[in-house]
Amino acid sequence: MAALTVTHLVKRFTGGVIGVDDVSLTVHEGAFTALVGPSGCGKTTMLRMVAGLEEPTSGAVRIGARDVTWLPPRDRDVAMVFQNYALYPHLTVRENIAFPLTVRRTAAVEVTRRVRQAAELLDIDGLLDRKPAQLSGGQRQRAALARAIVREPALFLFDEPLSNLDAQVRAQTRAELVALHKRLGATILYVTHDQVEAMTMAQRVAVMALGRVLQEAPPMALYRDPASLGVARFIGSPSINTVAGRATGTRFEGALSCDTRVAPCADAVLAVRPEHLVLEPAMDAAAAVVTLVEPLGPESLVRVRLQGGEDLVARVAGEAAWRMGDAVGVRVVPGQGLCFRAADGARLA
Amino acid sequence: MTAAHRRAAALAALLWAAATAGVAWRTVRKVDQAARSREALVLSHAAQGRVPTPAWPGGLGARDAAAVRAEELPLVVRGTAGTVVTAPVKDADDWNVIGAVAVQARAGEWAVAVLFPVALALLAALITGFMAGLRHATRRRTVVGLDAALYGGAVVAVVAQLSRAVDGLAATGVVPPARARLALAPPSLGFAALVLGLVAAAGVLARWAIVWHAANADRPARVRETLGAWGLIAPSLAHLLVFTIAPVGFLFWISVHDWDLLASDRPFVGLKHFRAIGADPLFWRALRNGLVYALYVPATMGAALAAALVLDQPLRGIKVLRVVVFLPYVASTVAIALVWQWLLHRDFGLLNAMLAAVHLPRVDWLGNPATALPALMVVSAWGQLGYMMVVYLAGLQAIPVSLLEAARLDGASAWQRFRLVVLPMLRPVSVYLLLTGIIWSFHGFTLVYIMTEGGPAHATDVLVYRIYQTAWEFRRFDVAAAMSVVLCLVLLSLTALQWRTVKGEPADV
Repeated sequence: MAALTVTHLVKRFTGGVIGVDDVSLTVHEGAFTALVGPSGCGKTTMLRMVAGLEEPTSGAVRIGARDVTWLPPRDRDVAMVFQNYALYPHLTVRENIAFPLTVRRTAAVEVTRRVRQAAELLDIDGLLDRKPAQLSGGQRQRAALARAIVREPALFLFDEPLSNLDAQVRAQTRAELVALHKRLGATILYVTHDQVEAMTMAQRVAVMALGRVLQEAPPMALYRDPASLGVARFIGSPSINTVAGRATGTRFEGALSCDTRVAPCADAVLAVRPEHLVLEPAMDAAAAVVTLVEPLGPESLVRVRLQGGEDLVARVAGEAAWRMGDAVGVRVVPGQGLCFRAADGARLA
Repeated sequence: MTAAHRRAAALAALLWAAATAGVAWRTVRKVDQAARSREALVLSHAAQGRVPTPAWPGGLGARDAAAVRAEELPLVVRGTAGTVVTAPVKDADDWNVIGAVAVQARAGEWAVAVLFPVALALLAALITGFMAGLRHATRRRTVVGLDAALYGGAVVAVVAQLSRAVDGLAATGVVPPARARLALAPPSLGFAALVLGLVAAAGVLARWAIVWHAANADRPARVRETLGAWGLIAPSLAHLLVFTIAPVGFLFWISVHDWDLLASDRPFVGLKHFRAIGADPLFWRALRNGLVYALYVPATMGAALAAALVLDQPLRGIKVLRVVVFLPYVASTVAIALVWQWLLHRDFGLLNAMLAAVHLPRVDWLGNPATALPALMVVSAWGQLGYMMVVYLAGLQAIPVSLLEAARLDGASAWQRFRLVVLPMLRPVSVYLLLTGIIWSFHGFTLVYIMTEGGPAHATDVLVYRIYQTAWEFRRFDVAAAMSVVLCLVLLSLTALQWRTVKGEPADV
């Protein structure tokens, strides 16, 4: 295992399109970092440059103490799990898992031992003689994982490995990946567009947009304390509520108002998580109309429209007491409003 | 089963009976006509002499005998026993007419041939009437099977009856000597049998359709869908039957008969022609040449794969290069043959000019038995390279990029990626190219026909060229058909072999 250090990495494609724009990132030894962002944000390009499948325009990639920026993939000691698993269809599962060892001319006894070990770890030792076409999606995923761990690489790269699985298997595999990470103590860089995956599995999450890393922090810190409006919007489901207004220094005033001690700003945005909105019978609070109630079982999402036309969503415990068309007052839980500058989305301190 | 279905089934059975009776009646009429026309009966020249015991058929008067003697030709004679046709029989010196063979149609044969199918059809219609409740597939199969057995039996019986009628032509009158062959031109029973068989097949098919419809009458969507599907494939099915399956069947038919374009008599000879080609060293030579010639296919595949790997690179102008390599494939084979004939010419050829320029001896590429076949192989390879390359290119581009990237990360070198990933992934493409290439090579005719005409000294004589020569130059269509059958079997077994190797392939992931 080794740490991954990326410094000032830039990828400019032919035609001038910038894929990755001066990104620096460190994944500590044994850490699990997720790279998350909307499609086209540069996260996969970033991963491919770490893997050596793509050459950076400038910058450096270090694995442990080695500068691997210009090394071919095979000399980097990294393993990658692909979105479509990339299992060799003409080989059996056993041969697939053994592939990284056989191309390195590992002794047959050693190959057998390590393949068995990896297969047992992933609980696929009963499937070793099948071809990939005879496996389910989840089983293929495990086979691909086994192929990655069999050579004990310095670094694991995951490129959206769960997106081809159905929801149930995906949830199960998430838990197993976390357990696997604990057991192996592996350094992992995990690319996904699904913030749920990033939040639930990773120890640290880097949010990317337009080729840049907006913020890199532990998942809950990102959620509670986003550095920019972009991060606040990307993390959390349903998305954070935003209303425009101005910060006076002690208060935010707009369609929704609350006390907040931030630097004054004439053109500001208030962002509030759905669970931090309180609905109450219409009185002195901002008046709104309930447009939709979505019961989810343990909680309900209540969508409301403010008088100014802003749509908000509130999360309330259990069954909502509101119905469509009810007039409600909307209040922000004290201390839970986040203020951003409208011009660049920066957090107001 | 509704009344309408019963009526339809009965109608189908009657139609079949009418058609069968019609064919039988027509054939009987032809037999009858043959018995009454003197063109129908010719004693082959070889049989006329060497008749040990001449005799005059009964019922032939002295005047008739005198007429036969004088004419020395087949005559139609109206005697006491009805109309007979006589042919003279000469003595061992082939000088005097000392007897005659008479031929007469046997009365009454036609009645059996015509009435039999009608009776069977009525029986079939009756049986259908008693079969109720066709819900069970096994019961449906029983009904159709019963029909098939009835109709098939009827065809066999009718053909047997007709053949007795034809035999009757020769048997009436004086028994001809065993070695004297009566060259009769009775109607072809083979053709009649074929028509009867087709009519019977159509009858069984109609019955099957009616029974199927009766069982599915309460599922109109299914009926509509099935009829629509069959309607859609019917044109190509008909095309396939008429222009592919029927000619192949005809080929097999010819290969077991003596088939002379000019002879009216084409007897069944079994495997005679196959024994003949088996004993013909030139056939084996052609087969061996064909196998050697086919070796250009794997060689070209290797070159095409190499070219495809090079041309798969995203380089400037690569598309132009791809077109250039592909060009020979779209050129006419005749043009290619003519151009290469010039390139390889002993005195004026470009190749020899180049050899001469570096003071090497000239080679008569197409005139030398040692170089002619290799020269043809080179030309074929040149012509096929582009096609194979394009197919390989498509195969390469169908390999998921992630597989190659996974292999790179797994630590495979370029050679290992090629050997362990690319080559196995191209396997279906390779098998396809090898299979079609070998079949194509066995069909390769144009190059041989234009460039070498099988020579020199049969060095480039391949099977198709041998078949062509046997059929059109030696006029032995039967032997050529036998060769075609052998070629067909060789290619079929090759195909089966390849098919088995492809079948083990997994589907794409």
